[in-house]
Amino acid sequence: MNKAVSQSGRLIGQGMVRVDADGKVRGLTRYLNDIDYTGMLHGVVVRSPVARGRFKALVPDPAFDWSSVVVATAEDIPGENVVHMHDRTMPLLAEVGGELLYRGEPVAVVAAKTIELATEAAAHLRVEVEELPPLLTLQDAIAIFKKTPVKFDSMQDQDIVKGDLAKGFAAADDIIEAEYWAGHQEQLYIENQGFTVFPLADGSILCEGSLQCPYFPVHELNDPLQLPPEKIRVRQTPVGGAFGGKEEYPTMLIGYAALPALKSGKPVKITYDRHEDILFTPKRHPVWVRYKTGVKKDGTLTALECDFILDGGAYLTISDVVMFRGILHCALAYRCDNLIIRGRVARTHSFPCGAFRGFGAPQAIWGMESHIDAIAARLGKPPHTYRRQLHVRPGDVTPTGQILSKENGSTACLDLALQHAKFAQKRRQASRGKLRKGQTKYYGIGLSFFAHGAAFTGDGEAKFKAKGRMELALLDDGKPGVNIRVSSTEMGQGVHTIFTQIASDALALDPARIRFPMADTGLVPNSGPTVASRTTMVVGNVVYRASQDLKDQMESFASQRYFRGAKTVLKNSQFAAKSRRPLSFAKVARDMLTEHGPVNGFFEFKLPPDAKWDQVTFKGDSYPGYSWSANIAEVEIDPLTCELAVTRVTAVLDVGRVINPILAAGQVEGGLTQALGYAIMEKMGTGQNGLYDASRLQTYIIPTSLDTPIYDVKFVEYPYSFAPPGGKGLGELPMDGLAPAIANAVESAIGKRLRTIPITPEDLFAALHPAQGDNTP
Amino acid sequence: MKTTEKINIRFPQTLAEALRLQARKNTRGTLLAGGTDLMVQWASGTPPPARATSLWNLPELCEIEVRDDDILIGAGVTHAFLGEAKPIHRHLPALIAAAATVGAIQIQARGTLGGNAANASPAGDTAPALLITGGDVLLASLDGTREVPLDEFWTGYRQIAARPDEIILAFRLPKKGSAKERFRKIGARKAQAISKIMAASRIRVRSGRILSAAIALGSVAPTPIRLTQVEALLTGQALTPSLVAQAEKLAQTSVKPIADIRSSAEYRRWVAGRLVRDALENL
Ligand SMILES: Cc1cc2nc3c(=O)[nH]c(=O)nc-3n(C[C@H](O)[C@H](O)[C@H](O)COP(=O)(O)OP(=O)(O)OC[C@H]3O[C@@H](n4cnc5c(N)ncnc54)[C@H](O)[C@@H]3O)c2cc1C
Repeated sequence: MNKAVSQSGRLIGQGMVRVDADGKVRGLTRYLNDIDYTGMLHGVVVRSPVARGRFKALVPDPAFDWSSVVVATAEDIPGENVVHMHDRTMPLLAEVGGELLYRGEPVAVVAAKTIELATEAAAHLRVEVEELPPLLTLQDAIAIFKKTPVKFDSMQDQDIVKGDLAKGFAAADDIIEAEYWAGHQEQLYIENQGFTVFPLADGSILCEGSLQCPYFPVHELNDPLQLPPEKIRVRQTPVGGAFGGKEEYPTMLIGYAALPALKSGKPVKITYDRHEDILFTPKRHPVWVRYKTGVKKDGTLTALECDFILDGGAYLTISDVVMFRGILHCALAYRCDNLIIRGRVARTHSFPCGAFRGFGAPQAIWGMESHIDAIAARLGKPPHTYRRQLHVRPGDVTPTGQILSKENGSTACLDLALQHAKFAQKRRQASRGKLRKGQTKYYGIGLSFFAHGAAFTGDGEAKFKAKGRMELALLDDGKPGVNIRVSSTEMGQGVHTIFTQIASDALALDPARIRFPMADTGLVPNSGPTVASRTTMVVGNVVYRASQDLKDQMESFASQRYFRGAKTVLKNSQFAAKSRRPLSFAKVARDMLTEHGPVNGFFEFKLPPDAKWDQVTFKGDSYPGYSWSANIAEVEIDPLTCELAVTRVTAVLDVGRVINPILAAGQVEGGLTQALGYAIMEKMGTGQNGLYDASRLQTYIIPTSLDTPIYDVKFVEYPYSFAPPGGKGLGELPMDGLAPAIANAVESAIGKRLRTIPITPEDLFAALHPAQGDNTP
Repeated sequence: MKTTEKINIRFPQTLAEALRLQARKNTRGTLLAGGTDLMVQWASGTPPPARATSLWNLPELCEIEVRDDDILIGAGVTHAFLGEAKPIHRHLPALIAAAATVGAIQIQARGTLGGNAANASPAGDTAPALLITGGDVLLASLDGTREVPLDEFWTGYRQIAARPDEIILAFRLPKKGSAKERFRKIGARKAQAISKIMAASRIRVRSGRILSAAIALGSVAPTPIRLTQVEALLTGQALTPSLVAQAEKLAQTSVKPIADIRSSAEYRRWVAGRLVRDALENL
């Protein structure tokens, strides 16, 4: 790590122990499911039994005793039956007479004193439907796209255009074309989704539960609940993992729980068990991506045409933005002057897909990084030398016309990874479908190289203006300290710790005097959702600047109050003016609170004034900053059984300033493991009944610790200087590029390219032994 | 478990007490050993029974007895205990290897050999390793104890040759002697994986000739099976590369696996042969 950059802070750059470690390690932390209230009801969602059909009636069993059960249907929705995500099409609950658009679409919510009673009651509600033929999968949608494009139903289109594609292809010596597929992926956080909604006397609701984006429900449920934002208060409970899964979906859960809560006047809790959680919450979007590329003999990429189609499911929800991020990452890492990238979101009769770590980028990078290897192979160039030739570096222009600044460590990541993993040497050992001397398994090594745009796309952050507050207050021990008041949520990634580090350095205050209470929209300004790898970069900057603001205010108070206007500095938790005895932070803070009332430091995030973005043409600065990474995967394939093991992964990353190297490495290893599952295990099909076929931990296979390779993780630091302390995105980057590195390694092991993930032994068998029952040892 | 039903679980202290409970219809309960199969089934659709009879820690079921030619392993012995029972490892290495692949440490500490066998899943990992020993299952009831050959124990998909009043007491497993055993499981990952297919073999070779061969597979048929045709092909033959290739082919043509969420029929058929090859190449 670049020491010169890390040393400026006392805590920034250090591996401080997590502030939430004690409670979590000792099992003291109370999650939503540990918290019950007297009089609370449990809610159960009643769902569509078909993937598509006309909703004819909801018929309660007359033999069942309904007296102690609350049933809420679309008729109980106080306002307009629409949840305001990125469009206004999705109802909160389906309405009788309308069309049911996916299996599991909610039609009613049943609440009762116990889960058992609510479950039983739900089973006595018959959903009458007239079935209609569904379009279940992306495969079906793509078949239409290829055969009769006019019939292809896209919920959102967006193109990126640069240069002149026809000219680019005309200049090419060779054209390489291929398609790549990837399926659903489940987030599989440890803690399932859940929320409790309290109806309050003033007609407002208080919502408590596990989520990433406390302000989303506040703004998305105004129409159906007929409540203004200030009457929807959301309080975060400790989050047992989220990975995007608790980004947009908790809004729905709150909506479901709110209906019986408002109807009965009692708090209602809805929690899912694992089966329901896997079946009926959003997944990563399946993708089909087709690249057509023109290259010159010398390797110049003269033209790139890309169709990038996601399976959005039945409603748009947030899929437009996932697709935007996808197309912005489809050709980001390489020089190309002429390109068209077309993004589409296919509508299918399946559960709406949603946010998952990477947010469209893993799908894009999966295709691109496989394809670059295919181009290199056609050119007869090794994949690493070709990437070294073609990759973008400072001064190069992205597909949207953004000029990359000096703060992009692209070359450093690529070079260090290649050198550190001894890529060129090891590649000579690759089996290419034939065991070499001494090998009992096919060995392969593969590379991927990619960027992840940090923070909201385009001018998102400029428009959003993330706000944060540093609050001087008496803490839980009765002594003064500072509360970090932002809406970022701790979900295991370590934000409570790194913000404590940032605040401590910016204030020059002992971290033991800093608290980061759980986000509560009644108390925190809107610093935005905990998504998009924006937290360290954007909200970290807000915390840093707001801390400086608070420090300034306290210093000038101390200067006036005790030191007759002499310049006063808060340092090492003490206020000092020249040649005077320093005063403790506690004394000054107490006096200031008594004499001033509330004391807060504030900051509102801005983008650099010269940042430009056109949301219609997708031209300009698509992200404020970019993180970079190169992944190298080594694999072994057993010729006897086609079993595949990933044995070693080298990852070098530029995430800007590394605030906490231990937590950062943990994020990387965790993300790589999630990407490993995506690449070789996590397979989820859709049955004819519209349900995922892998819907339990028994059948949805993720890697165990025994399946994880040796991880070799290194950072290079190119900080984002505009927003100190200079972090760029870290959360998603490790998820982005391991799958293609593994596919490229598989190609180098067996001499065949697989273009669909996950790559399973069954797929390797089919590739290696195309004649069924083939017997070659 | 989202269920309103309550299960009445009895905890007999002796085998005799358990047998008495099971003898009569109106006191009989579902036999509950480690519960690692049953609890999952109850949580995912199978209605829980009104009554259960716990066999957990019944002393008569938890013993291992090493005799001259065979070993008696109580049905209540856990997979973890098999791993610790070092003196039997060299006599039944395939079974020990199989038990070590069941779930992971938590499941091994709780799951029993009797439960694995009685659950009668074609994917039960210990079944092929039991089959290749040519041993018997000891079934106890108030009428006494009878022996059923393991070859006749699994009668159909999730069916066993035990009467409702019978409890599996133990397994009588002949030692391998000079034969070589091998067990190999193909799962979707290295732990906590239900087998796509697994194979166990006990093969005796002297001076390059196969004297006897027992090969069993799981997850390729409704029950765990012996590959009797392959065994017949091998017995008495010189172990040559061409014999190995023949055996591999024969295994592939003699099994009729199905496709399910865990694997494809084609892959299973192919790997069935590959695992036979693996056994023969590692003698
Ligand atoms: C997470 C997980 C992972 C697993 N992984 C594997 C795996 O990798 N491989 C594998 O093979 N299995 C696996 N299993 C299944 C299970 O753990 C094993 O089959 C185990 O051996 C069952 O033993 P038990 O004592 O828990 O059986 P129980 O659940 O108590 O009983 C199973 C069945 O056997 C009957 N039974 C039990 N004892 C007797 C007896 N003495 N006489 C007559 N009937 C009896 C019961 O009535 C019941 O029908 C897994 C289970 C879980 C939950």
